[in-house]
Amino acid sequence: MNNLLDDYALMSPLRYHNNKLKLGVAIFGILAGISSASLATPIFVVFCMGIATVFFGKVPLKFYIQLMLAPMSFAIVGAVVILFFFGFGNEVFSFEIFSYRLVANAQGIDKALQVISRTAGGMSCMFFIALSTPVVELFSVLRSLKIPDSVIELSMLMYRYIFVFLEVAMSIKYAQTVRLGYKDFKRSFSSMAMLASTLFIRSWEQGEKLYLSMSSRCYDGKLSMFDARRPIGISEAILSGVYIISTIAVSYIVII
Amino acid sequence: MHIMEGFLPGPWWQIWFAIAIPVIMYGMYRLNKLTTEKREVLPLLAVAGAFIFVLSSLKLPSITGSCSHPTGTGMAAILFGPAITAILSLIVLAYQALFLAHGGLTTLGANVFSMGIAGPVVAYAVYKMGMKFNLNFYITVFLAATMGDWTTYLVTSAELALAFPGESVFSSFKAFAAVFALTQVPLAIMEGAVTALIFKYVIQVKSDVLVKLNVISEMGIRKIKEMAA
Repeated sequence: MNNLLDDYALMSPLRYHNNKLKLGVAIFGILAGISSASLATPIFVVFCMGIATVFFGKVPLKFYIQLMLAPMSFAIVGAVVILFFFGFGNEVFSFEIFSYRLVANAQGIDKALQVISRTAGGMSCMFFIALSTPVVELFSVLRSLKIPDSVIELSMLMYRYIFVFLEVAMSIKYAQTVRLGYKDFKRSFSSMAMLASTLFIRSWEQGEKLYLSMSSRCYDGKLSMFDARRPIGISEAILSGVYIISTIAVSYIVII
Repeated sequence: MHIMEGFLPGPWWQIWFAIAIPVIMYGMYRLNKLTTEKREVLPLLAVAGAFIFVLSSLKLPSITGSCSHPTGTGMAAILFGPAITAILSLIVLAYQALFLAHGGLTTLGANVFSMGIAGPVVAYAVYKMGMKFNLNFYITVFLAATMGDWTTYLVTSAELALAFPGESVFSSFKAFAAVFALTQVPLAIMEGAVTALIFKYVIQVKSDVLVKLNVISEMGIRKIKEMAA
């Protein structure tokens, strides 16, 4: 919970590159992975994005691998369902649980592998954005995409207060744990509720204070922000170009 | 109950976006109207959104031992109504995707629909019904949060089943629902109970907030306090 990916993004050397290029590259990867029929394209995307994140973004390799494995648990549960309930074709293997026969067949295995590889491809692109672009930098991109100001402002204030409340929640939880608040199920249940309600009341009071402090500083419904100009360098343009072309090439070659 | 990035194939992720976007637009319209009328709401909504995020990143105590998180959307729906909750959960879900790697960008539409629209609408409806028929306040909150969670879980199963129909959509729905039921059914009951307990503490300490949000009337609070005394 303490380990927000944003911390890594703030330290990443990739932070100082053009945000739209980074977003474009990642979104291209997601779309390429999801729309390709073969396994090769998502795997290629995972490979490229992994290199970009670990090598250019200087994220520790061990941490990155742990990160990639975490969302896989959901993908694997879903893939198991697909494996046994999807498709027809030759039976590959089967076994019985509680006198209920589970059959996996060729099409089901194909589909399950495809889902796992697509999820891996998509997640690697997500991690690339998350580990290279701090959320603060995304707001100006959002504004240039003509998202309404009220929504952007809401997100900015929310972003700020997430960290404030995380700290409050952590210290309350620490204090509760020290006093054996989580020693058994019943205790942890009431501790949890106490924590959440205190957090709600605290955040409410904080919100009222925030309004007062903002209006006393002449808040008129618009927060202005600084948008650093970062032109796209030649080397990164070439690199992303090569990446995009080779991804397209991989998906075409495998189809043929 | 987040669907991971890349899990939904086309055209399904586009379809869920197409369904979620009109509701989000309506929510934005409501939000714009609200913030121009009463400017003090924006900071309050922001802290509420941050609260939902932090709440959803806390671990619920769980009997089965699996790691599980509350969604917090049932509570938000009771407090702010479904339209605003849709916007708040859109932002929360985007942050969860970027900070915690829960969910994803292409699946954002589907996730917003199941967690930010369907669940809160049901939770809100159950809450209003319960209040109308004069059910006990805490029981109503419990039912609303639990039903909201169950709706989220059923809608997620349906989204997955539509994207991956086996022999029929229905049989694959049953399969997905059965696999997720193991963790989601007890989890929803837990969240319902925790939400009811949260409201109990809030009423004890700072009940005027709930009156201000039109969650419950002054009369209602007095009645609850009398009952407890």
